Parts: sequence; structure tokens; C-alpha cells
Amino acid sequence: MAGLAGVGARVGGRKQVTKATTRTLISSAQLNRRSGKIGYRVILTVVIVVFTLVFIGPMYFLFTDGLKSTSEAIATPPTLYPHHLHPGTYRAAFDRMDVARLLWNTLYYAFGALAFQLVFDVAAAYSLSKLRPVLGSVIFFLMLATLMIPTTVLVVPQYVTVANLPILHVNLIGTPEAIWLPSVANAFNIFLLKRFFDSIPEDYIDAARIDGATGLTILRRVVLPISRPIIGVVSIFGLVAVWKDFLWPLLVEYGYSPTRESLNVGIWQASATTPQNLIIAASAMAAIPTIVFFLIFQRNIMAGLTAGGIRG
Amino acid sequence: MADVMTLRKVRAGTSASRRRTAAGFAPKIRRNLSAHGFLIGAVLCFTFFSWYPIVREVIMSFQKAVFGGGYAWAGFTNYVRIFHDPTFWQAWRNTGEFTVLALVIGYAVPFCVAILLNELRHASGYLRILVYLPVMLPPASALLLFAYFYNPQYGLFDEILRALHLPTSQWVFQPGTGFVSTAMVSVVIASTWMNMGGATLIYLAALQNIPGELYEAAELDGAGLFGRIRHITIPQTKLILLMLLLLQVVATMQMFVESFVLTNGGGGVADNTQSVVMLIYQYAFALSGASNYNSASALGVVLMLVLAVFSGGFLWATKDRG
Amino acid sequence: MSRQRYRLSCRTAAAVAAVAGLGLAASACSSSGSSNASGGGKVTVSIDCAPTAANNPVQHKEWLADVATFEKANPKITIKSVYNYPCEVPATFTAMLRAGTEPDIFYTYFTDLPQVLIAGQAADITPYVNSKTVPTLKDIVPGAMRAVTAGKTIYGLPTSNYTQGLVYNRMLFSKAGLDPNNPPTTWAQVEVDAAKIAKLGHGIYGYGDYSAGNTGGWHFSSYMDAMGGKMVNTATAPPSAAFDTADGTAILTALHTMRFTDHAMSPTQGLTWGSLQQQMAENKLGMYIAAPDDIYNVIVPTDKGDVNNFGMGPLPSASGTPAGSLGGGNTYIFAKHDTPAQIEAGIKFIDFEDLTPGVGQFNFARTKADGQPVGFPEPELFDGAAGTKINELRTKFATVNTSNFAAFVKASEEDLGEPLDAQAVYKTLDPVMLAVLTEPNANISALLKTASTNVNEILANSPG
Repeated sequence: MAGLAGVGARVGGRKQVTKATTRTLISSAQLNRRSGKIGYRVILTVVIVVFTLVFIGPMYFLFTDGLKSTSEAIATPPTLYPHHLHPGTYRAAFDRMDVARLLWNTLYYAFGALAFQLVFDVAAAYSLSKLRPVLGSVIFFLMLATLMIPTTVLVVPQYVTVANLPILHVNLIGTPEAIWLPSVANAFNIFLLKRFFDSIPEDYIDAARIDGATGLTILRRVVLPISRPIIGVVSIFGLVAVWKDFLWPLLVEYGYSPTRESLNVGIWQASATTPQNLIIAASAMAAIPTIVFFLIFQRNIMAGLTAGGIRG
Repeated sequence: MADVMTLRKVRAGTSASRRRTAAGFAPKIRRNLSAHGFLIGAVLCFTFFSWYPIVREVIMSFQKAVFGGGYAWAGFTNYVRIFHDPTFWQAWRNTGEFTVLALVIGYAVPFCVAILLNELRHASGYLRILVYLPVMLPPASALLLFAYFYNPQYGLFDEILRALHLPTSQWVFQPGTGFVSTAMVSVVIASTWMNMGGATLIYLAALQNIPGELYEAAELDGAGLFGRIRHITIPQTKLILLMLLLLQVVATMQMFVESFVLTNGGGGVADNTQSVVMLIYQYAFALSGASNYNSASALGVVLMLVLAVFSGGFLWATKDRG
Repeated sequence: MSRQRYRLSCRTAAAVAAVAGLGLAASACSSSGSSNASGGGKVTVSIDCAPTAANNPVQHKEWLADVATFEKANPKITIKSVYNYPCEVPATFTAMLRAGTEPDIFYTYFTDLPQVLIAGQAADITPYVNSKTVPTLKDIVPGAMRAVTAGKTIYGLPTSNYTQGLVYNRMLFSKAGLDPNNPPTTWAQVEVDAAKIAKLGHGIYGYGDYSAGNTGGWHFSSYMDAMGGKMVNTATAPPSAAFDTADGTAILTALHTMRFTDHAMSPTQGLTWGSLQQQMAENKLGMYIAAPDDIYNVIVPTDKGDVNNFGMGPLPSASGTPAGSLGGGNTYIFAKHDTPAQIEAGIKFIDFEDLTPGVGQFNFARTKADGQPVGFPEPELFDGAAGTKINELRTKFATVNTSNFAAFVKASEEDLGEPLDAQAVYKTLDPVMLAVLTEPNANISALLKTASTNVNEILANSPG
């Protein structure tokens, strides 16, 4: 029930502020004391400075090293800021490493995978949770069992399978489906979704059934609207997983045609044969869309992460 | 609610009697069909891309390649071969080392940072964004950036060391296979920077759900700062902590991209940052003519077993308290 | 009402299942691999290693022009180019062979044929290769043809070959007070010159070498060949490692000394193919070993180096005269799934692009007109009449000062091919190179011993 309470509190995106958050490890009384105030300010400042250095520092270099010339980028000792600005590096990196295509490919793979996951995994979790078919628990158990076997371990047989699907005898190498379809086989998503659906009270479902709703209608009209938080979590995990994937796209996409590369693979492939400043510039350009996306949706992302994390 | 329930029963009764006169099991079958219809997409994907590959990997680990492109049975040859490969033991040592280091640096640190963030309410929003920003970078970009920093010739870190009059290091390429080798620590630092944001935020959310009264009570009982952490914070977040511990260990046992990109695929000096998954990759893809999907499968099966044993044991051990 | 509900659910179930099935079927339609010969006598052939516009813009332009010319002369043939750079990445190459997803004609190194045959992915093209389809066939050097032949069966055609020498930066030599027309020929001389160049400072180093991506071992093999040793002894059964010798030790000691005693090598190690060329182009590196095509294929066009800054000498050896050089090259192999029409079309195209003097890769007039350097001594694919013709054209259209390479040409190194299971051997020697270049206290004999054991293990276990 605690789960649902958490859900109820977040329906509509409102963040419920309980009295609990006003009292943490250190009491306000302690903080309001003079020594507490000074201590707090000092620690706050130190933390902000250190964190900014540690987290923003590398990003600063990510963006400015791309503005250096090739020789300055590998100068000894390294320069803290570009002594001569070379904005042309960004243009050169964009063209030479085809950053636009890499970005497009990766977004295509990520959102396609997300679409497949949302359709198939939500349907599966709904079925396992609400429709309860025969053999449902067996199937669920088999899915959970794969949680112990991470995909990286299976990369070799997965590759051989994708190259020649059994029964269908279809070769998926080089197709986007080679990334989309395996991403559906995500037991963690199904686990999260099923758990959430389990916590939806039967009354809602029964009320809808009485009104003559079918399985699909119940899914659409009753379950999905309540499930926005968990769908958000699953979406984030799904997008990030494809975005960060390296080994699998290296094998199934580049191996067929270099025009289908994803971002990680493309940048890495170019790293040995391209000068440092171009690589950094390309990396910076690759980072911009995600940072922008993150800054725009950070509220939702944070809410999604935290909603997924709190489970009693 | 009661009338609705009665109404339902009445309807169920009438339709049930109607149904009983028709084929007895038909509605159940149809309901099951519908339910299975929802399942089929995911089940097909699991079959092709999860269950079948698992089975296939086990089978392939007992086969060997024959000239012309087929396979023949080879018994335990592959397993014997990989156990005799010194790189195999080195890779397991390294993976273990990475897992432990990552636990200390990549598990304890996010938790402490979350506690810190929870206290510093004024800057919490800003700090949360800072911490999560590196998670958004494409891993290849972040790692190439770190490789650039780690470069002994023109990298920033050695420059900082020089400015502080400390001996410079070759970082990821520093020789040495001790338990805490510089090379491994360099990889862990890069990995933690890239990944800690997610864990930190999840902990933060869990921390924010701890009722303040518990802290009040503890303080009244005379518990100091660390006492409160030990007796309130940790027990209250135990489930999250354990869950993330399991996930962390399982994830770090499959470390690949960090070491691969930072060492140009080589695994470091004397293979001191070569992880098990990198070895699988090498057996399968990097040896060209001597490439051996079957040895790679054997190693994959070994890794599967280790992970299964670990996960199973962990879940069993935490069952009562979970 | 209830019956209606269940019927609708059935339909729903059917719909969902259909979507799932369609999803997989759609991927069947979009499944790819090789192109098929279409009807009406038209043939499409896919070929990879086409130069990319991003990395090799001029060669890309020339490739497109060649393809257009060829297709115009052969209207029934369409060439489908797969652009990649670098042309072969071991990981994806292996994966490609195992899955059978290679293009109709695919690029390989000389050493790859055994691997392709083991994977069963090469087509027998012997009936299609003769002096009519490949007029210069009898002039192709035997070493190059060996790379595409197993027994009496031909599986592809060679397109270039190389031996390695010492690439050095003439400008840095002059700056350091060394004679740019007199490159070092012994390891002792290399050490002295490298130390002098490193003294120039500003991130300039005297010598460089690889130690990752199989390229460290590749270079080590070349050094061994120059010293008169070899990597693998094929006389024993099974073949055994042959590099744990005084020669091997001498080579590694020289590298180690340059790195840690003379500080003539950069502290950045673990380099792979592509890095040294960049440093050379930036005039930050004094010497490294490579084939001549590094200069005209990489340093000048991609890394924007000034072609007049570079020269070549022989590989470093103990005596000053190298006993030979690692010789390698590239070929195009025909995939197993090719139709006879595709094989014929493919042979025609390769003959046009790579095996005819004055045309395609040997169109020196065009190369010169496009501002690319002409006059390098390699590839030396041909003896006899074809070879003479090519050298005449080279001299006629030369744009570089051929005396820059005089020392290399004079040494006339013998092409010793590559060792058995070459890529695996190279991979095993990479850690040795890396250790020597990063560990101040590297135990060279222990390293060689371990590598020997590992290589013996690989050779004992390789199928076929």
C-alpha cells in the first residue's frame, strides 16, 4: 500500500511535501544555533565548490578543448584555456565524424527501442498482473531468472542468433530491429511494471469490468493513466540503456555498414585515427542534445528515478 | 459497494449459468487467449533473445569449430583450455578487484553524497543536477575525455601532479598488478564519475522518505551523528541499499566499456585492467584466425554460473530481512 | 454482453499477436546481408573499403569517378560501395564472417585467408580468373597471389602489398642537426638519433611505436624479420614460437632503453594504428616504422602532413642491412554467397580498379592532377611487363622527391610474408610491447617466455 500512496502523491506531477522532509539527520534547532549556522555555511560552500570542480570541471574541458587547435590540444604542458580560439574545429569534427548521422542513428535506435518496450513490456506486465493467464507464473519466473544473467555475458550467442534467427531464418544484422527487439527482453522493466500494476487496487479494475470493459480498454482507460510515474521510470531506463550501449551496437550495426553506427561506437572508432581536439569537439557535440534534454526534463527524470526507487 | 458486489454476483450467476450450458471451458480459454495475446510480444522476444541464447551458449561451450563453418562436439576441451590460460585468472582477479573497488568508491560514496545532499537543503536542487549530468554523457565521450586527462604526455592530471611536485603516473597504463593498482583505480574513478549520479539520486529519494520523528527520538536518546546514521538512516533504507548492492555487484562484474576504451582494447599493462567480459570479447572477436566463439561461450557460461550463484546466495541471505 | 466482451478480447489478442508477428516479419523484409543479382541480366555487386568522404576526400572523389566510368562501360553492372575507414576492424571482421554478413567482395589482409576459409565464407573463383579476365595475371608477384590461393584454388585477388621501412621526419632531422639524407640503419644509430631529436623538447619525441590493437605485435614481427629471425617456426609439428631469442631480446631492449634511459619516446603508450601517423604529420615524432602507403594514404591526405617532410630508410637491424621485412598486403575476397554473375562482374571491376597500369589506383596522371603525391616505391604488385609499365608511369608523374626514399629502395628488403595465425600472434605480442614501453623494470626475458608459451598454445589449438 505504501507504494500506491507514493503513487497517489505523485499523480498529476505534484510533489507531496510531508512533514518528514523538514527533519533530517541534523535538526533545524541545531542548525539555527550560531555554530550550527556557521558550520552549515562552511560545509555548504565547500561542497558546492568541490562538486562544481569535480562534475563541471571535466565538462568545461570537454567544451573548451574542442576549441583548441590540434597542436595546442596535445601541447605539453596542457593549457587551461584555448590560447587561440579555433571554432572551425567543431565544424571539422562535425563533418569528418558525421556527428549528425551518429546522433540521428542513436536517437532512432533509442526511441524505437522505447516504443517496442512500451508496447510489449507493458502489455506483458499487464497480462501477468491483471489478466493472469495459465502458465503466467511460470513465464514470469523464467523472465526473472534472466535477471541473474546479464546481457553482456550472452553477447556471443545473441550475435549468432541475430545473424540467423531460428525457425524464421532471418538475418537481422544491420537492421534497427537488431537493437529494438532484444531490448524488449528486459526482465527488470517487466518486474517494475508488474509490481506497480499489482498495487493498483482490484476495485478500479472490477468497476471497469462491470461496465463491460474489455482487457484492452481497461488497460487504456484505467491502468495506463494511473501508471504515468512507472512508465516514466521505464522510459528513462530504456532510453538510457540504448544510449549507453557499446558492445552490442559495435557488433550488429557497424559490422554491417558504418552508416548505421551509434554515437558511442562512432566516436570510439574514430578516436585512433582522428586528432584529439576533433574527438573532444565531437564528444561535446554529442553531449549537447542529452544535456539539453536533461535540463528540460530534469524534473520528470528526477521524479521518475525517485518514484522508482522508493518501494516499501 | 455492497450493491455493486451483489449485482456482480448476480450477473456472474446468470452469465455463468448461460455459459455452463455452452462449452464449459470456452470463456476460460478465450480469456487466457486474450491474456496470452498481450504476453506474446514480450515472450517471443525473450525466447529469441534471452532464453534461446542462454541455451545456445551452454551448447556452444561444448563444441568446437570445424573447417568450413560447422561445429562438432568437443566435450570439456574449451573449459580446460580457458582454465589453463593465465589471462583467465588475471581477468577474474581484475574483475574481483574492480568490483570491490567499485563497491567502496562507487557504492559507499554515492550513499555518503546522498546523505550530504539531504542535509544541504539550499543547494540540493543544483547539486542533484551536477551529480546526474555525467550520467547523461555518451560513455565513449566521457571515457575518451578521461583518457585525455590521463594521458601522461599532455593530460591534465599529470600536470596537476607536476604542479604539486608529486611523481607523475601513467594512470591506466601504470604497471603493477597489486590489489589496489593505479591502473584499476584510474578505471574505477572514471567509471564512478560517469555512473554515480543515478545511485545517488535513488538513495536521496529513499532518504527523504525517512520520517523525521525517528531522528528526533534518536537524538533525544542521546545518539550522536554517526549513531543516528547507523541506527536510523541505514536500517530505514536497507531495502534500497541491498537492492543496489546486488545490482552494483552484478553490473561491475560485467565491466567492459570503461577498461576497453581507456586501454584501447588492450587490457592494460600485463593485462592488469582486463576484465572477464573483455576476455570474452577477445576470445570471440579479437584473435582473428584463432578466434574462438566456443571458448568465449565457455567463459560466458562460467560467468553466468558465478553471477547466478552470487545473486541466488545474496537473495537467499537477505530474504528474511528483506 | 459477456460473449461480446470475450469476442472483443479475442480480437484484441489476435491483433496483438498479429502486431508481434508483423514486427518480426517486417524485419524479415528489411533483412540485409548481400545484394542479390536482379533479373534481366543486371548484376549488383557490393564492395567495401571504399574511401570515405570524411577521411579521404580526394580518394573518395576518384573512387566515385572510377565507379561511374566502370558502370558506363558496363551498363549491366551496378557497384554498391560500402564506405569504411579503417578498412578492417578485427572484431567486426570476425563477427561478419561468422554471421555470413560480409559484402559480396570484401577487403582482407594477406593473413586473413585461413580465417575466411575456416568460417567457410570464401567463394572458389578459379574458373573465372584467367589471362583474359585479368590481363596482368601472370605478372602479379607470387607472394601476393599466395595470399588469395589455398592449394590450387583461388578465392580472391590481391590489390596491394607492402614491406616496411623506417619513416622519418626530415624536417626534425635537420632541426636536430642530423643529416636528413642519411637515416639511421642500425638500432644503435636509431637510439642516438632519437635521443637527439627528443632534445628539441616541446612535446617532440624521437621514436614511437604501437602497443595495442594487434599493431604492437605486428611491428615486433617486422623488427624480427629485419634482424633475420622469425616469429613462428613452421618446421615443427605443431608450429612453435620462435621469437624468444637474442634477436627478440635485443629489439625489446633497444625500445626499452629509448623509452626509459634516453627518454626519447613519449610517456603516452598503448597506442594503436592511426596515432603515430598523426604525430608524424604534426612534426612531433622523429621516426617510426611503416610501409610507404602510410605517407600517401594517411599522413598526407588524412592527417594533413607536408609530404616533403618525410623520408624513408630501411628497417633498423643489427648490421645495418635488414635481412628482410614483414611483408603484407590487402586483397579482395569473394564471398561464398556470390552468384557466378556477381563473381564475373566483381573480377572485372577489381581488374579495372586495382590491377591495370594507368587506370584506377595506378592512374598516376589523375593522382598528380588531384594534388596527391606520386612517386612512392610501393605497392610492388607486379614484376615483368606490367611492373615496368607502372614504374615508368610513376617516374613520369612523380611529384615527390624520390631521393627521399632512396635509402629504403636501396635496401631492397625481401618480403618475408607474415607469420602463421598472424593476428593471434600479434595480439599476444601486444602486451609484451606495452610492458616494455611502460614498465621501467620490465623483465624482458620473462615477457618473451610467457608470450612464447601463449603463442605455442594458440598454434597447437588452431583448427584447419
